[in-house]
Amino acid sequence: MRFTIDDGGSAPIEVFFPYDSVYPEQVAYMREMKRALDARGHGAVEMPTGTGKTITVLSMCVSYQLAHPEVGKIIYCTRTVPEMEKVLEEMKALQAYIEKELGAETARMLSLGLSSRKNMCVNPAVADEGSRESVDGRCRRLTASWVRERRLERQARDAGRTVAAEDGEGDNEGGVSCCDWFEEFETAGEKAVLPPGVYTLHDLRQFGRAKKWCPYFLARNMISFANVIVYNYQYMLDPKVASLVSSALEKECVVVFDEAHNIDNVCIEALSVNLRQQTLENAGRSITSLNARIDKAKQTDERRLRQEYERLVNGLAQQGVLARGGGEDMLMNPVIPDDILREAVPGNIRRAEHFVAVLKRFVEYLKFRLQSTQVEQETPTAFLQHCAANAGIDGKTLKFCYDRLTSLLKTLEVVDMDEYNALSLVANFAALVGTYSKGFALILEPYDERYPNIPDPVLQLACLDASLAIKPVFERFQSVFITSGTLSPIDLYPKLLGFNPVCAKSLEMTLTRECLCPMVITRGADQQAVSTKFDVRDDPNVIQNYGRILVGLAQTVPDGIVAFFVSYSYMENIVSKWHETGILREIMQHKLVFIETTDVVETSLALDNYRRACNCGRGAIFLSVARGKVAEGIDFDRHYGRAVVMYGVPYQYTLSRILRARLEYLRETFQIKESDFLAFDAVRQAAQCVGRVIRSKKDYGLMVFADKRYNSQDKRGKLPGWITSHLHEEVLNLSTDMAMQVARTFMRSMSQPFSHDDSKKSLFDQEMLNRLAAEGGYREALPAQARKLAPEIMMHI
Amino acid sequence: MTLIGAEGGGSESDSDEIDAERAQASLRAWEKKYQSERAWEDLEEDPLTGRLRVNARAVELRARERRAKMASAALRGGAAKGMMRFAYVVVDLSRAANEEDFRPNRLSVVGHCAAAFVREFFNQNPLSQLGIIVARNGVAERLTELSGSPEAHCAALRNALDASGDFSLQNTLNAARTSLKSIPSYGSREVLYIMSSLATCDPGNVWTEIQATKAAKVRVSVVAVAAELHVARRLSEETGGTYGVSMNADHLDDLIMAHAPPPPLAEDATKSCLVQMGFPQKKHVSKDALIVGTRGDYVCPRCSGRIDELPSQCTVCRLTLVSSPHLARSYHHLFPVPAFKEYASRNVSAKESGIVALECSACLASITDASLASECEHCSNVFCFACDIFIHERLHNCPHCSCATHVESRKKAS
Ligand code: SF4
Ligand SMILES: [Zn+2]
Ligand SMILES: [Zn+2]
Ligand SMILES: [Zn+2]
Repeated sequence: MRFTIDDGGSAPIEVFFPYDSVYPEQVAYMREMKRALDARGHGAVEMPTGTGKTITVLSMCVSYQLAHPEVGKIIYCTRTVPEMEKVLEEMKALQAYIEKELGAETARMLSLGLSSRKNMCVNPAVADEGSRESVDGRCRRLTASWVRERRLERQARDAGRTVAAEDGEGDNEGGVSCCDWFEEFETAGEKAVLPPGVYTLHDLRQFGRAKKWCPYFLARNMISFANVIVYNYQYMLDPKVASLVSSALEKECVVVFDEAHNIDNVCIEALSVNLRQQTLENAGRSITSLNARIDKAKQTDERRLRQEYERLVNGLAQQGVLARGGGEDMLMNPVIPDDILREAVPGNIRRAEHFVAVLKRFVEYLKFRLQSTQVEQETPTAFLQHCAANAGIDGKTLKFCYDRLTSLLKTLEVVDMDEYNALSLVANFAALVGTYSKGFALILEPYDERYPNIPDPVLQLACLDASLAIKPVFERFQSVFITSGTLSPIDLYPKLLGFNPVCAKSLEMTLTRECLCPMVITRGADQQAVSTKFDVRDDPNVIQNYGRILVGLAQTVPDGIVAFFVSYSYMENIVSKWHETGILREIMQHKLVFIETTDVVETSLALDNYRRACNCGRGAIFLSVARGKVAEGIDFDRHYGRAVVMYGVPYQYTLSRILRARLEYLRETFQIKESDFLAFDAVRQAAQCVGRVIRSKKDYGLMVFADKRYNSQDKRGKLPGWITSHLHEEVLNLSTDMAMQVARTFMRSMSQPFSHDDSKKSLFDQEMLNRLAAEGGYREALPAQARKLAPEIMMHI
Repeated sequence: MTLIGAEGGGSESDSDEIDAERAQASLRAWEKKYQSERAWEDLEEDPLTGRLRVNARAVELRARERRAKMASAALRGGAAKGMMRFAYVVVDLSRAANEEDFRPNRLSVVGHCAAAFVREFFNQNPLSQLGIIVARNGVAERLTELSGSPEAHCAALRNALDASGDFSLQNTLNAARTSLKSIPSYGSREVLYIMSSLATCDPGNVWTEIQATKAAKVRVSVVAVAAELHVARRLSEETGGTYGVSMNADHLDDLIMAHAPPPPLAEDATKSCLVQMGFPQKKHVSKDALIVGTRGDYVCPRCSGRIDELPSQCTVCRLTLVSSPHLARSYHHLFPVPAFKEYASRNVSAKESGIVALECSACLASITDASLASECEHCSNVFCFACDIFIHERLHNCPHCSCATHVESRKKAS
């Protein structure tokens, strides 16, 4: 359907929406977006999952793009490949609708997904490689420009003579080493284009196979012509990848980060490096092999090294490292592009052998540091001073390490990046530590806190400031939106990420029935408080009471139940206690029990069996950990999760030095209180966990917060609005038996038939929107919840 | 994100102790919502004696509401209805039936409802047959075979009320299906589950059994006591049955009773064909007669064998034996009397204007409580509550509609 969004500001926008009805909160969302787009500013919007966030965002952006052609591409960043495919499926529906309404000609748009070679490669010899790195490596070995040149030479030679000698380089695979798909793609040159349409990764692969063009390079080439691009966060946030893929995007683009509740952690991770003993050892080995290569190059191809030297003398910008070509793209500088010095490389590392010597010294220095038996924490400045005094390497040299290494590897025509991973990690470390003096901390821990007897030294360069990585995105692009089901408190995110939103809003869900039932259990049937607080968590009474909650739920809730614990160690502990006291046996009378482990394969097997048990009616309980893989990415919708229990408040490990450093930094720089941040972080994880059970409005689920601390306003208030609005007085501060009563009633009432007519009440269809536009009498037409939103939405529709 | 570990005690704030005032408030809120049993609402004080008594009117109103729902459900079904139903009632007597969320416990409520259902079933479908399967200890016990005698079923059920062990959907379904396989093609096959358990413990894959049931054209309906179980809902959807979850004991009764009138038939569930039936005569046996077998009052018209009760099958020649009222009663399901309108809602003004002399056009008693009276849509006659029930549940005819001339004359007279 088509309707107009008019917020009274600038020109109204006609929105194309591929479905016959729209939720009020979707309209509200669009209004927020329009406001930000009009003002060319950024936004943060919280809207619960199951309300059609993706299609709302796409509809609004694309409609806006149609009305304002000056707006650039829409870049939709997701966390995982399945999410990406989902976005593109929605886009297909939208595209089809717009074509139907406007005709195929006006609506010519290109939308595509982009992922790593691992997910896109169609060359069977390469695609079957196991890991992402090895696919990248194999592909580079086939497509690097010098490899191809040499092959062409050889072919020319072979045409004349019979046998050509192998030249003993890394690409020992003789004349056969080429990727047909890449060659065809290169040959097609300018003509290799995607016709308008929507392409998921699967579509791209299919198209690539049909045309014999490499889908990966095709997609990367087509980015500059696309209207909608869907890809992973990394392509936008990690400077190593972003400058490779996203550097050509124009300023007028609209960037959307979906499921962005953990975006600050993604940002921080993009700029953090951990060095372990093993890494340094591998780096040492790489240096040796690098030396050997240099020696050989000196004998056979002195000219190449000389050319490189001259390029370096003339300055970094002209040296060609940044220029793209062929398939040899190596990862780019880990430093934010704006912070890279546009200067000539310092004299002491211009010559290849000198540079390798510096690297060697640096690795030795790091090894020496790792030998420390005490925990050390210092600022980058202090580290540089110490490094200069002890190893004679100054900050400026370190700053250039990464680019210098890339240049060298290229000059030596190395395609086997795998071999040099450890070394580039060290160079990465060097570049970051040399560039940033603020917002980072160096922490050296000789052993893991939890296993103090096993030496496992690690040197961590921890980024403390999430805004560093995302700042260029906010600065460069006209409008950036972050959105998720849990962004509460919504004013904290702008602070953490250092941006100034035009709109920051938390939208509620309009429901026709109370299909989510959050409740807070504060005590067991014996009235003793339950909590995972440090001093009481091992109390046998608390453990017993926690167990009784699960027994009770197993009796009252059909099909699947998910329980989240604060940590693996706590889960192990509590489950073994339950086993001893027979609680586990009692639970197993009603349901099967599955447990998440740190092993990914085991966990996915457990999940698989869990689903099977839910499907066949046996019923199952999945025990999982907040902040684990399952809590982040697995949905427990419909009968896979009728209830979810959050045992305790999932605080971060507060003794972690990195966390301490970050807290300190936050307090000093952003004036965010430590306890506030910790509570915020814990509650967002909890909200994330319990949110896994509701994935659409037709679904229903019980959400149990089992810790007395949730009863306090200070925790509860940090939950997203769509949960707090259901936390009525009668579901707060419950004891286990009271809670079971609530659960029983909830399960019964949710099982009652639910007619579509009822759901109409919280939907606007075309007719209703028209009528509302014509008259002002909208209030009666809306259910109570929608009425709350009504004044502002409806005024201008 | 990668940090997983035990939280330290250090930095948690202790400020969040629960305020006693708040705790009290939420307890009160909870009590208000959950601790009031529904029965309290129906109590009223007798104005004369001052004693408490159950408000009869509220009960009646609820009954009417329930009946209206049933009637409309029956009407909605359309024309095709099975007159000869072969149904199994599966009563879940697993561990879950011992729970005490109903008073005194689920077991007795379920037993009561099931027995009432069996009687009502034969009342409405005299030509049909029914059997009872009990799910207990993970297996299916066939309590009674398919047969026509309500009392035998009820007695068997009464003696079996004792719950333990697990519930198995697959086993019970299998037991019902294999038994229903052999029934004649004109009969409609049905299974009704009364299910307390929230899980099923099966020896194999329940889905293969469900597919087999679907292929055998057995219609499975489920009435769940506690909550929606995915596999049970899918089972009823797959086989074309209905699925319901009870809110309370009354609702459970409604849901089960809704299965007493014959459900609409799926297109290809049965084949229509001619069925041979006998209409036995009642002949008392003389005291001195020497009879091998039963000393029943009825005599089979084909083989002159003796039969105890109707409807049934002749024990000797297997002829289906019915009496004509049975046939007539089954027939009414095809043309049910539409539900009567509430009288009061439409005629408020008339009531106010003082026309008090309202009398039932069936029993001619004067109606004291106009809000319980109802009116036939066709002939506009007003009936008292008792007659309304009698017309719909027993008579299956509006006495005035079937006697149009009478109506005419009445109009002239007034
Ligand atoms: S060029 Fe494309 S198709 Fe060929 S190996 Fe690389 S990714 Fe695969
Ligand atoms: Zn006979
Ligand atoms: Zn009467
Ligand atoms: Zn009538």
